[in-house]
Amino acid sequence: MEYTEALREILGKNVIFDTVEKIPYMTDASAFNGKEPIAVALPETVDEVKQLLAFCNSNKIFVVPRGGGTSLTGASIPLENFIVLSMAKFNRILSISPADRYVVAEPGLRLDELNDKLSEINFFYPPDPASSMAATVGGSISTNAGGLRASMYGTTKEWVLGLEVVLPDGSSMITGGRVLKRSAGYDLTALFVGAEGTLGIITKAFLKIWPKPEATGRILAYYDSIEKIGLAIRNIKASGITPLIAEFLDRITMDSLNIAKGMSFPAAASYMLILDVASTDLSIAGDLEKTANMLRDLNPIEISITRDPDEMARIYEARKGAYSSLLKVRKSSSQRVIIGDVVVPASELPAALKEIAGKAEELGIMVALFGHISDGNIHANIFAEPGNAESMSKEEEFQKHLGKVALEHGGSVSAEHGIGIEKKDLLLDQEKFTSSDVAIDIMRKIKQAFDPNGIMNRGKIFD
Amino acid sequence: MTESLLEQLENEVGNCINCGFCETVCPTLDPSGFSLWKGARGRVIMGRTLLEDKKKGIPVPVLSDSFYSCLDCHACLFVCPAGVNAGKVSQLSREIITTTSDRKNENPYARMIVEVTARYGNPLGVKARSAAWSEGLQFDRNAEYLLYTGNMFQLMPYTKNLNSARKTMGNAMSNFMASRVANHPSMIKMLSRMRDKEMEQKNFGTLRNIVKLLRLSGISFSYLGEKEPYPGTFIYDLGYIDKFKKYAMYVYSVLKESGAKKIITVDPHTYDLLKNTFPKYVDNFDLEIFYYLDLIKMPALQKGEEKIVYHEPCHFVLRDPRYSKPFQILSSTANTVLAKRSGSKSRCCGGPDELTFPDLSEKASQIRYEELKSTGADIIVTACPICNVNLSKENRTMEIADYLASKLPA
Repeated sequence: MEYTEALREILGKNVIFDTVEKIPYMTDASAFNGKEPIAVALPETVDEVKQLLAFCNSNKIFVVPRGGGTSLTGASIPLENFIVLSMAKFNRILSISPADRYVVAEPGLRLDELNDKLSEINFFYPPDPASSMAATVGGSISTNAGGLRASMYGTTKEWVLGLEVVLPDGSSMITGGRVLKRSAGYDLTALFVGAEGTLGIITKAFLKIWPKPEATGRILAYYDSIEKIGLAIRNIKASGITPLIAEFLDRITMDSLNIAKGMSFPAAASYMLILDVASTDLSIAGDLEKTANMLRDLNPIEISITRDPDEMARIYEARKGAYSSLLKVRKSSSQRVIIGDVVVPASELPAALKEIAGKAEELGIMVALFGHISDGNIHANIFAEPGNAESMSKEEEFQKHLGKVALEHGGSVSAEHGIGIEKKDLLLDQEKFTSSDVAIDIMRKIKQAFDPNGIMNRGKIFD
Repeated sequence: MTESLLEQLENEVGNCINCGFCETVCPTLDPSGFSLWKGARGRVIMGRTLLEDKKKGIPVPVLSDSFYSCLDCHACLFVCPAGVNAGKVSQLSREIITTTSDRKNENPYARMIVEVTARYGNPLGVKARSAAWSEGLQFDRNAEYLLYTGNMFQLMPYTKNLNSARKTMGNAMSNFMASRVANHPSMIKMLSRMRDKEMEQKNFGTLRNIVKLLRLSGISFSYLGEKEPYPGTFIYDLGYIDKFKKYAMYVYSVLKESGAKKIITVDPHTYDLLKNTFPKYVDNFDLEIFYYLDLIKMPALQKGEEKIVYHEPCHFVLRDPRYSKPFQILSSTANTVLAKRSGSKSRCCGGPDELTFPDLSEKASQIRYEELKSTGADIIVTACPICNVNLSKENRTMEIADYLASKLPA
């Protein structure tokens, strides 16, 4: 093979050429299938990353960085003439400073492993995408991942203090660092958050950490309509309580969790709300009761409160696995579930959901709905047949409509999954809708400044 | 190959959404250098490739290392939101490969083990020494219980030295030799001199301690000695299911001939195989299966100062998660802790790959050893001969029978 010798020289044994061994790198958690990469690089040092990028830049070989391979939009799959750059071996925590509120971590570290370690000192890193068991520091920065706790703590962009990155020409730089404040020109760190690996390779991340809430409790409430949940959340937030998490699940999702996890739900419930309250040991009981009373005002079918850690962990894990569990209720083994991800202002969510459900009914497709109701993030999960043209055409029409609904309600076509391959057209729709065509031009110019040869994850975000 | 095998594989891989949760707990991903095909999600993807090629009727590429390197611990199943078991994908894929006599995908060591077991009733052809541990011991006749060692403790000294020889030979020569032995099983006799004698003495001592503990508990039992057959664990695990069915019938008939209806096993692999797998393949299987600790009655002992960490065998916490007897007994005897990864999140010692992927096995065992050591325990206690060998690194690892025997009053 043309590049074998040179890549071996740079990476030694840390490179895969075998066709069969490369197969798993052609997929991620999205519905897209990639092309066979030229090679899979698994560097162990920053110097190897630098040499590799310089080599690829000189030879016009495209590079897709890979973290946990959990992208839902095809951001981490290789296309034609690509090398996969897996950061799996960069998986260490380099330092933790609770007094200064930061941790320095490598990009291949999985988020749950980071939080396991931080929990030993009673701290945590708040971004918790549902994929946090497999998702990595680098991957979650590159998609500006959100998650359940975004309700209270915001998304990844709020928690990245700085980065060490290797640029396509093999040079490196540090943006930001170990401090919570910085006002020194353009915020280059922010450019890499959500860049999906199109600007460079993150080799180190300086992340803000926070003390864990002293006490938490969970309310489970079931309703016959999403409007009631929307109204309840609005009342709760208006009263000054910010939920730690506030998740809604529709009936299809509840049924899938029943099959996959053996969880039971009231038969009459159309929607479920999972709401966590964070407080102090002294106040938690009162805060939970006050919140539950506001939920009771909207006539729930059933409502319960738990502070049992095992029970809370069980529900939390089930919610995080909801997307995968949906396969349990598909109509045939050839069906796939394709997850949609849009966001609207939280108070617009009930109206937006109604329109989304209406479109699913009009198209005659099965769609399961769940999401983060406190920040207006809707995941519409479409059951589609990849081998069936009509089914895929409906899926595409539905996704398009989903984006339209989000925009019309003042939201965005992507909340926390990024653009990848899947949403390139929707991104253009969004810029048109907001009369911001120039924004894409500016993004392209930024890309050009960092990556003049266009080797970094080419074909993702925009063409 | 039966259609049902492909259907079963399709059911399993079809439920996977590629979320990757499974690979975070897979004990072979890290030791493989993070090469995805030797991780749980990679195995499901390779299973999908195998399935698609089989359905299309096109030749399957050489992909079986993905499945043979699976340790069958089933840790992946416990984190999968859709209930997919990458271990089952590996098991089914191996079975498809062996059923179709896909020689280029068959692992040479797997084939060697199966052929030698069929010829000698022992995977390494060393049945003759399988009863040497019991020299001088008298066993009961026509007792209610039969002690069935399954030969696992006796085999470990040979596998250790076999692996040393493999490292010296290199992979290509080693695989060539395994193929030669598979074709000419009598060549295995070269192995009979290759045992680690120190380990053999240690393991013989463990078996004798098991006997001691059982006798002190008032259990009367017989033993088949050299007639005792190997249970067929490898044949089953490596996917030779048709051969396993026949072999299991043979083992059952030998056990039945003893007249005992209650079988005492001494390792978790044999226990799980006889208790949970044999009944699926042997019609009217009517033997009652025990792990020896089920029958032990330890005297009340004062807990000492030492801290021990118990490494749970996969077959007790992941394959048969209801079995917690060893931990109960240890906890009542000593200050016992578990590693951070324990219970349904336990990490395999890497042992089942010892013969087929020795380098990977060694790295996996080192990772688990460090986890256990990081608890600050003075002693690592195992309840499986394979775990014991793999985790014996700094003279701080003891088999549970040896530990309990050391606590008995003089």
